[in-house]
Amino acid sequence: MNLLARLTGGVPARSLWGLGLLFAFLLVAPALLGKYGLSVLILVLYFAYVGQAWNIMMGFAGQLSLGHALYAGLGGYIAAGLFFHYGIGPWAGVFVAVLAASAAGSVVGYLGFRFSLAGVYFALLTIAFSEFTRIAFDHWAWAGGSGGLFLKVDAGSDMLNLRGGPLLFYYVILALAVGAFILCRALLESRLGRYWLAIREDPEAAQAVGVPVLRCKMIAIVISAALTALAGVWNAFYYNNLFPETAFAMGRSIEFTLAPIIGGLGTLFGPIVGAVVLTGLGEIFTDLSEVFHVSGLKQIFYGLALLVIVMYRPAGVWPWIAERFGFGEKRQ
Amino acid sequence: MTGRNFTRRRLGQTALAGAALLGAPLPLRDAFAQGGPANLKVGLLLPTSGLQAQIGQACKRGADVANEVFTDMKLPVKLDIVNYDTETKPDVARTQAEKAIDAGCHMLVGAFDSGQTIAIAQVCEQRGVPLVVNIAAAPQITEQGYKFVVRNFPTAPMLITGALALHKEIFKVSGKTPKTAVLMSVNDTFGTSMINGIKALFPKLDMPYELVDTISYDVAAKDLSVEVAKAKATKAELLLPVSRLNDAKLLVQEMVKQRWEPMGVLNPGAPGLYEQDFLKTMGKYGEFMISNVPWLDPKSAMTTALEKRHAAKYPNDQLDLNGGFTFEGILIAAQAWLAAKSTKPGDLMEALRKIKIDQHVMVGGPIQFDAKGQNVNIKATAVENLKRKPTVVLPLESAAAPLVFPMPPWNDKRRT
Repeated sequence: MNLLARLTGGVPARSLWGLGLLFAFLLVAPALLGKYGLSVLILVLYFAYVGQAWNIMMGFAGQLSLGHALYAGLGGYIAAGLFFHYGIGPWAGVFVAVLAASAAGSVVGYLGFRFSLAGVYFALLTIAFSEFTRIAFDHWAWAGGSGGLFLKVDAGSDMLNLRGGPLLFYYVILALAVGAFILCRALLESRLGRYWLAIREDPEAAQAVGVPVLRCKMIAIVISAALTALAGVWNAFYYNNLFPETAFAMGRSIEFTLAPIIGGLGTLFGPIVGAVVLTGLGEIFTDLSEVFHVSGLKQIFYGLALLVIVMYRPAGVWPWIAERFGFGEKRQ
Repeated sequence: MTGRNFTRRRLGQTALAGAALLGAPLPLRDAFAQGGPANLKVGLLLPTSGLQAQIGQACKRGADVANEVFTDMKLPVKLDIVNYDTETKPDVARTQAEKAIDAGCHMLVGAFDSGQTIAIAQVCEQRGVPLVVNIAAAPQITEQGYKFVVRNFPTAPMLITGALALHKEIFKVSGKTPKTAVLMSVNDTFGTSMINGIKALFPKLDMPYELVDTISYDVAAKDLSVEVAKAKATKAELLLPVSRLNDAKLLVQEMVKQRWEPMGVLNPGAPGLYEQDFLKTMGKYGEFMISNVPWLDPKSAMTTALEKRHAAKYPNDQLDLNGGFTFEGILIAAQAWLAAKSTKPGDLMEALRKIKIDQHVMVGGPIQFDAKGQNVNIKATAVENLKRKPTVVLPLESAAAPLVFPMPPWNDKRRT
């Protein structure tokens, strides 16, 4: 009860109602939406989840990572490889995947934070790690090399091995998204969360008042990497194939950052709102492209829409919605 | 409207109006799609935007003229082809496949790339809708036990084996056999995969030449002078380039500059050398280079009809294997429908399993699928650049011109 009170403390009743309604809708959405609608909603939840994971690094702790595909790729490859080669199911493989991604995050973090790499320099370090991992996987026969790793597709449903149709994957990604949301809320409400915000705002000042900056940053990258690895595992079993060129692609890392940036960096709802806006706009513009028979029209509209959002709502869409409609927290 | 007057109710109204405006294309699109004759509806999924846009659009051009070619060939069929853009992303490919099936497509054709194709294949398998793979080389696509997938394209090992086997044929026909070769490859995923495949298959194929070196270079290389100098220093008699378009141009420019004149340039199954942009840019220096890839059969009446329609509709674009295989994907759908006399997925799939299409456009035997859904009758060809056009020179039964090998020197008067 105490935990629940802590998690919901300061949140306006209308926000809690809104959250409850949203959750209820998500629970019954598969019954209301067609298969196509469900596949779009799966993408929304996936980007909301990975956005939440990335937000811990950038939004909470203020560390810019442009190489998060590294953790998703590692997570996916390890869980899929264990399943493919040894028949170890993803529910067990996920622990190895998360451990490996956390270890990779620790190495990147230690190199960056210990030697005071910040801003774009730290971002470059994250890109470099993602890139050379891609090249390594291109040549690693166990992982299928550049030809890719393919999981056997099974028409039946097998929860133990995460084999099944879109409905199964929908509820798994929904559980992950809800879990990440609650975890992020709990983290933000904790002492560690306060430390992160202090580091984000002014690392020198935080250090001066005794915040263990290196440790806090390390915890941020480890948690973020671990959560992203979970998304990688889900992704590998949903699509059943992995290629180094796409799993560790820079473009994928950028995709992870878009939802929180558009939705609102450092906010809990930002990644969710951002994922809804981006995926929704994407689908609308895809339809427009098809109506007008012009390939690439979507990308132009999409770019313009992002430009407008960034120009007029630089803090993101969610802070504006929260302010307008009284969803913001009331803090003492 | 000022910010002060912007109330919650106003936002709701604006959002509703916006949603109506933005959502309008959906019914509009369906109306367009349903405007055609009530017959077989085929969803064509291709990467017409994103990294693979150029190739995706080349594929689409082949499908765009399909109905006209069917009319020319007196094939009593007209398909309703609806295009979907996969944006070169497997996740988009998956949602687009769901959308196509929800929109009533009876069959899907696509999607050029293996990752995207597998994403679509899973949807087709779950929804029980047949998928005809136009281009995708990963062997796993037909090794997964899919019940609703057929592929009319060689697997990667088939491509490499076919290409290397043709090398022997080239040497036999020309009477000249090089003793050494150097492999030059772009170091991206495709290049690495090809190099690994060639190295794995090379010892098994008893090739008459020795591979003296393998030289890799970056996909974004702006200068290949060092790599070409290194290749020249090996004194190899044959160059096997695994290239893309731009690096193929850099490679040949540098060969001319360094006066490196090997006996031949034989592309073992990669793009680059046969592409329109390469031929235009390289002019006489692009002549006599040979690509060992599947190609359009110049002796087929259907190829002639396709080339005519393609040239009329797209006078500035070359018809290549991308357009050819995508046209065949549509042809397979049409023939399956004619045989099944039904748009039910089960009937269409049954027809696909039994199909035998003798008249088609790519070099090879009749289009028919084995138990795994793979067409094993596709043949590799030797396509030589002659008079600025990729021309089939082998196999002899499909040749449109005689083979020229060894390659004439850079300043030879045969290069005009």
